[in-house]
This record gives sequence, structure tokens and C-alpha cells, in this order.
Amino acid sequence: MDSRAVGTTGVLVIAIIVVAIVAGVVGYFAAPPKIVEKEVPATPKTVEEAKQIVAPLGLTVMPKLKAAWIYVGPIGDYGWSHAHNMGRLYVDKKFDWLDTMYAESVSKANCKQYIENFIQQGCKLIFTTSFDHMYPTAEAADEHPDVIFFHCSGYIRKPNMGTYFAEFYQLYYLNGLMAGALTKTGKIGYVAAQPIPEVIRHINAFALGVKEVNPNATVHVRWLFAWYDPTKAREAAEALINEGCDVLAFTEDTPTVVSVCQEKYEEGKPVYVFAHYSPMLKYGPDVCVSGQLVHWEKIYEDIIIKVALGVYNTTNLENVDYWWMLKEGAVELGCDYGVPINPKLVPVLQQIKVKDKLTGQEMSVYDLVMLRLKQMSEEAPTFDPFTGPIYDQDGNLRVHPGERLGHDALWTMNWFVDNVVGTIPAGGGE
Amino acid sequence: MAATEELIRVAVEAGTPLLLATLGEIYAERSGVLNLGVEGMMLMGAATGFMVTFVTHNPLLGVVAAAVVGVLLSLVHAFVSITLRANQVVSGLALTMIGLGLSSLIARKFVGLPLPVRIPTIPIPGLSQIPIIGPGFFNHDPLVYFSYACVAILWYVLYKTKMGAAIRAVGENPAAADAMGVNVFLVRYLCVALGGGLAGIAGAYLSLVYAPMWIENMTAGRGWIAIALVVFALWDPLRAMIGAYLFGGLEAAQFTLQARGIDPSLLGMLPYIATIIVLLIGVKETLRKRIGAPAALCKPYYREERTL
Repeated sequence: MDSRAVGTTGVLVIAIIVVAIVAGVVGYFAAPPKIVEKEVPATPKTVEEAKQIVAPLGLTVMPKLKAAWIYVGPIGDYGWSHAHNMGRLYVDKKFDWLDTMYAESVSKANCKQYIENFIQQGCKLIFTTSFDHMYPTAEAADEHPDVIFFHCSGYIRKPNMGTYFAEFYQLYYLNGLMAGALTKTGKIGYVAAQPIPEVIRHINAFALGVKEVNPNATVHVRWLFAWYDPTKAREAAEALINEGCDVLAFTEDTPTVVSVCQEKYEEGKPVYVFAHYSPMLKYGPDVCVSGQLVHWEKIYEDIIIKVALGVYNTTNLENVDYWWMLKEGAVELGCDYGVPINPKLVPVLQQIKVKDKLTGQEMSVYDLVMLRLKQMSEEAPTFDPFTGPIYDQDGNLRVHPGERLGHDALWTMNWFVDNVVGTIPAGGGE
Repeated sequence: MAATEELIRVAVEAGTPLLLATLGEIYAERSGVLNLGVEGMMLMGAATGFMVTFVTHNPLLGVVAAAVVGVLLSLVHAFVSITLRANQVVSGLALTMIGLGLSSLIARKFVGLPLPVRIPTIPIPGLSQIPIIGPGFFNHDPLVYFSYACVAILWYVLYKTKMGAAIRAVGENPAAADAMGVNVFLVRYLCVALGGGLAGIAGAYLSLVYAPMWIENMTAGRGWIAIALVVFALWDPLRAMIGAYLFGGLEAAQFTLQARGIDPSLLGMLPYIATIIVLLIGVKETLRKRIGAPAALCKPYYREERTL
């Protein structure tokens, strides 16, 4: 045999083997993450709590319940999926009659498969935690009328499928009050992830807060078109600072913008910033003023108890929609738990005097923030940021004087208030 | 004035990871080995650099570890494509996929953690005082200066030394180089390893300086831009510098341009459009020779063929 032919064939065989091995390795790592069973063992003392809950109903033991969570991102992200998982861990630890399971990094395409998988394993309650999961969840709800579904951030409801959301707009408005008071250049930057109604609503709430204390200031928006991209977030933050913004806010899932502002402070150019979603004070001890924090566990606790006690069943969820805010304790003002405003900046905010637009009373912006926080935390909130008159960028009156925007108008918002500089890209806000 | 300085500074910072990765890939390709695994090696470099720095509080150790991991990964590619003579495209792509999966796997616990130490910015005395270009080019962290040194050294070695001539010969006509006594396999191994090391450092720059943070897939296609930049730079380290800062600057400028209504997706395509144009020009053999594309790129070398 020709020696060259042997060589070629040999190489080809080796190449195929190598490729097969490589493909196998790649396949192993590219495979969806394994479903992980619950990690935190239930603590015995919580049984008593559960019994107390059921005692008035004549039950002696809480019925066992198996629930599953489906996350869109890795639970190690610094925002959305991480926060939902904290909520799961809370209820898992609190209720020893509750078994929990979860799957992370589940895309729209894989969602249905994971739901089926969890149902096969005996889950009777399934939480899907991304807007992307809405249609797969609805489909599964039709196919499994004996299972209860709760979908976060969507609008499709069925007899066995409810919806829930922890809403931040009140907090963004409070952040806006502080931002408007702190800016010296009159230009405030906003690094925004994706042009969807939720983000637009938050930008507007923030801008309304800014406008209330500083009618001439403008809010400049840059879109990342990504939820999770620290390099882009850095570039956007730097671009906004270069254009003269001296206060930044953001909606995206990394603490990058806070880090950038802290660096600027260390270079002698303070740029104030508001944290988003997670405690980020440690990333900007000198510049992070306040922010928004979530408590999903409040919602999960409520749903799970009601499901376990049979208050919610597979026939009565058509109108169950949690839209929880300050008064329910589902959200918290601050850049760290229990720290509504960075103590380093409290004196600064106490020195800046503004007028309460409702009473005309002069007070510090710090007091105004605390007053509004109290008003919005009441059982029937006596203040709402989306109260007219509100004009959009084109000067149209969007909310009439005295009128308050309702859930649906907020839910589908696709316009900017008049002190926002920036556009909503085509296809956004719909 | 300040705006120009700021523009240069941002372009250099965004361009440095592209530059480091491109320089390494230029050497690999000059020796005749296409390594499409740049993205994977950068990711592994970013993850390793972050983890080591996080644990040891020593960024230098982090950068070195990133380089070592880059070299090790590239040696896998070198072994498969040089010694086993398998398809370079397949092996390189596999490397990228492995890097993507492996980096997420090993660094999962480090996602979103703040880096305890920062690589400091060190202005170069004298040079950083030059108007306009001073603050833009000479007020950075040591890794940026390292990339300047790499450009100078790699350009000099490639065009002005015997070693460089050997590398180019191996990429152009390995049989002839072999006949002249050049160890084709050794040269290719070294060039691929250099490419891996620099890609690893490029990744570490992202996770230690630019972000500074680790998240999955944080290179976000920069490895592919580097491969495109090799062609755009016509396999020349000096031109790589121009290309890296141009595309790095464009990427960073997308948020300034966004305010003027320019879609970021459009900017994202530019490096690849430029690559296709260069490839189209390179179709003609005479032009190919002039622009410096290595003739033996992607072709495994069989020593026994020499006698046939």
C-alpha cells in the first residue's frame, strides 16, 4: 500500500476521533444545566409556624406541596434570576411541608420541556419567571389542568394560571426626586437595557421625580439592547458622563454603572448613581445614593400558603394578578437592605431645599422623599407619581390634571414624558 | 480638546483587548495555522484571570494565569491541527465552544462578584503631558502599555529578524522553509502558543480592567472581531493597532452615536464588512502576495511530501 494513502487515512481516522471527543465534551458543557433538587434543609421550628397558619382551618398538618421555579438566567447573575432564587430559598426554608426544585438559564425554546419534566416529578405548582416563558406556560396550563401555574411579568391568565409582579415605579420616582436635587449640570443619564414597557415606565417615573424638584433638568437615555452586559454598560455610562451627565440611573442586571461612578469619584469627579435590583452600595460607597430592591419572597409566601390551603386552585386564577409595590412590602427603597439612603449622602440631601408641589410647603429633599415614601406605603396610597398633568415628548397631554394612570396604561406604556431626551426604538414599547 | 482626548482614551481602552488578541492571531496565521478558538481562549483567560486575582488579590498573578491557560488551550489546537493535521477550522471552532462552556462552568461562583483589587492607572511622566495624545495614550493601566510593547516587538521580530523571516516562510511555503532547515512544527507550535497567551491576556484585560467583573460569555464576540481584524490589518502588527483602536473606538462610540439616531447593529457589522472587502481584494494572487496573506494558511504540513 502506498505510504501516503496510509498517512491520509490514518489522519482522517484520528481527526474523526478527535472531533468526536471534542463534540462530546462540547455537548456535555453545552447541555442545559441539570435540574437541582432543593439545597437548604427545612428547619424544624418553621413547622410550628405552618401549623399555626392551618390551625384556624381545622387542619393539623399542612399538606405536602412540591413547587418548581424556572429561571431565565443563571442564579448567579446580579439581578433578576438571583432575586427570584432568593425568594425560593426563603419559602423553602420557611415551610418544611414545601419541596422546591428549580432550573436555571431556561430559554423560551426549552421552557415547555422543563415544565413537563417538573410535572413528571410531581410538581403541582410551577413558577415561570420571565416574560419569555409566557406562551410555553400558557400552553402547559392548557395541557395540564390539574397543575397550578404562576407566571411573572406576563398578561395571560387562565383558570389554573395566575400572574405576579413586584413593581418598582414608585421607587424610581423617589430616586428621581433625589437625582433632580443632586444634579448641577441639569443633565441626568439613564442606562437602559431593553425598550419594553416596563423599562419605559421606570424611566418615566424617574423623570417625573426629577421634574418635580428640578423642572429644567433632562434625563438622557441610552439603550444597551441587553439585560446583562457589563462592557456595554460601562461604555454607555462613560458616554453619558462625557456628555455632561453628573447623576446616573439604570435598568440592567450588573453593578457596572455604580462601579464606573465610584471610579469617577476617585478621580475627583463625583457622579451620583442609583442602584438597581440588588444591594450595590458596596460597589459605590461614596456615590451610590439610593436604589430599588425587591422582595419576591413576599409574593411567593402569599401564593404558596394560599395554594397549600386551597384558597387558590386550578379553577379560580383567571383574575389573580399580583401587582405588588411598597404597601405590600414587595419592594424596598435603597441601595442595601435597611438603608433607604446612603448615610454619607443624607446630610447633602438634607441641605437641598425644595417645595412640596401638593402643599407648597418648603422642606429638604430628604424630607420630601421620606414624605412621599410614607404616602405611597399607605394602605390606600395618597400619592402616585403618574398623576396628571403629564405631557409626552411631543407636548401632548397624556394624563389629564388630577387623573391617575391605571394598571393597563402603565403596563403598555410606549411614550416618554417631556423631560426625557432619547427615542424609543422601533418595535419598542409594544 | 477634552473631547478628543476622551475619545482617544476610550478607543484605546476598548481597543486593547482586540489588539492583544489580534496580535497573537497574526502570529498564528503568519505561521500557517488558523485558530478560530480566539473567543474561547479569551473567555478562559477572562475567567481564570478573574478567579486567580479574586483569590490571591494579585492582578499580576491573574494575568499570568490567564496567559498560561490561553497557551494550554492553544496547544490543544496546535496538537490537533499541526501534529494530527486535522481540520483547523473544526478544531478552532471546537476550542471556542469548549472555552465558552468551560469558562461558565469553572467560574459560576464568581459571577457578579466585585474584584477586591484594581489594576491602577499609571500616567507615564512626561509623555502624558503631551497635549491631546498624552492623556489619550499615556494615562492607562500597565496592560495597555504592555500591548504597545507587544506591537513594537512583534512588528520588529516579524519583519526585521531571522526568526520573523522563518515564521513568514513557514506560513508561505513550509516545504521550502523545511528545506532551509527551519523546524516547521516547532515554529507553528510556538506561534500558536503565543496567540493563545495573548488571547488569554486579552480576556484578562476585560475581566480585570474593562468590566471589571466576570460574567458568562463576557467577550461578546470580541474574539471573532479579532479574527476579522487580522485580515483587516493585512497580517501586520502595526496596522492591527490602527484597526483595533478604530473598531474599539466605534464600539465605545455607539452610545454617543445612538443619541444621533445611528443603530448599534450597523456598527457591529463594520469589522466583518471590512474583512469581506479585504478578502475580496485578496482573491487575486498578485494582490494576495502584496497584502501579505500567508499562502499555506489552513494547510497542514506533511513532511514526507518533500521527497515525493
